[in-house]
Amino acid sequence: MREHTKMGFILLIYCAIAGFSLGLVYTITKDKIAITELGKKFEAIERVLKDENGRYIVPIETVKSTVARAKDESQVIFEDRNGKVYSPVYQFGSDMGNVYVLSGSAIGYGGAVSVVASFVKKPEGFMLFSISVTDFSQETPGLGAKIQEEEIQKRFYPMEPSSLENGVRVDKDANMTGATVEEAKAKGVAKVSDVMTGATITPRAVANAINAMLSYLKSGVK
Amino acid sequence: MSSLKEFTKGFFKENPTYVQVLGMCPTLAVTTNAINGLGMGLAATSVLALSNIAISSIRKSVPKNLRIPIFITLIATFVTILDLLMHAFIYDLWKTLGLFIPLIVVNCIIMGRAEAFASKNGIWASFLDGLGVGLGFTGSLVLLGSIRELLGNGTIFGIQLWGKAFNVFVMILPPGGYMTLGLLAALFAFVGLKRKQRGEQK
Repeated sequence: MREHTKMGFILLIYCAIAGFSLGLVYTITKDKIAITELGKKFEAIERVLKDENGRYIVPIETVKSTVARAKDESQVIFEDRNGKVYSPVYQFGSDMGNVYVLSGSAIGYGGAVSVVASFVKKPEGFMLFSISVTDFSQETPGLGAKIQEEEIQKRFYPMEPSSLENGVRVDKDANMTGATVEEAKAKGVAKVSDVMTGATITPRAVANAINAMLSYLKSGVK
Repeated sequence: MSSLKEFTKGFFKENPTYVQVLGMCPTLAVTTNAINGLGMGLAATSVLALSNIAISSIRKSVPKNLRIPIFITLIATFVTILDLLMHAFIYDLWKTLGLFIPLIVVNCIIMGRAEAFASKNGIWASFLDGLGVGLGFTGSLVLLGSIRELLGNGTIFGIQLWGKAFNVFVMILPPGGYMTLGLLAALFAFVGLKRKQRGEQK
């Protein structure tokens, strides 16, 4: 019995020291981690609010203060067979109408692919204004990870409300590999088969994430 | 053994990846390109060197039947500290390595060195051993990652060496990892055997 107590006591001391040093490091890095995470998020939001000429459709000061004010929750607020949508949802006023910035994810080749997208509310429905793929770290380098190229992401946007009625698809699923990029966009199809040969799963995940966000928006946002 | 030998044995003679075949899970998973291999290797090296120092310095006060839980607690602490630091300061690499950072805790190289070396040797020798084996591990990962990246994507550390026409996609996928690993292990065994024969002839 005494032997056991002694061993328990020794283990307790080691664990206490370990716990204390972990607590110390956590306190030191906590703020820096929060700032880094927020910075990454802000970067993506900033990117999806730029039009093709590089101008912001919402004043950048408004974006900054809104993002800083929003509580960082990252809870799943909507989920369907396509993917997930996370809080917070940002809403900005602009000359084009209300702009919604959402973040969502869908399953790619090796894990979740995260997308931040901006939608403009028009009388006839939601228009996909821009997207930014923020996390594709589990996708294969040289194949799926090519999704990071802006030129490829541009194949997904802009899409008018009329073309989004049935959601977004990739050209291979829609049998439109022969169409041009603009022809495809008009039908809600992202033509990627020429630039992402051999990697359909990752762009499909991006399309699914966008579809999840669309379903969320259509399900009724105030 | 001299300190230099303590340090260099991990590079070739006791190379953790190709000779001892330890730590295969992170080896195969992260070596899709050279930079990931380097990051993973350096992360493991720092944990290995630190845990070897710590374990060596407490080796006399640790009761024999408690050493495994205490070693694991120590290693897990170092790994968690590293995880937090990487999250705060090198975010992109941290994100890419993802799950494999916490998994360093159960990396058999680290536990192996703690049990086989640090718990029986002095602090300085243990530090050199940890550093040497760690750098050997890093070198192995970078070598494996470079070959796979070059053949699969035409780049090394992201620098384009040749056109896309020569890319063999399978090198980046798991089969490419196994093939490269097998061939490199065979090469190491071959050179090791040659060296041994030469030693016997002398």
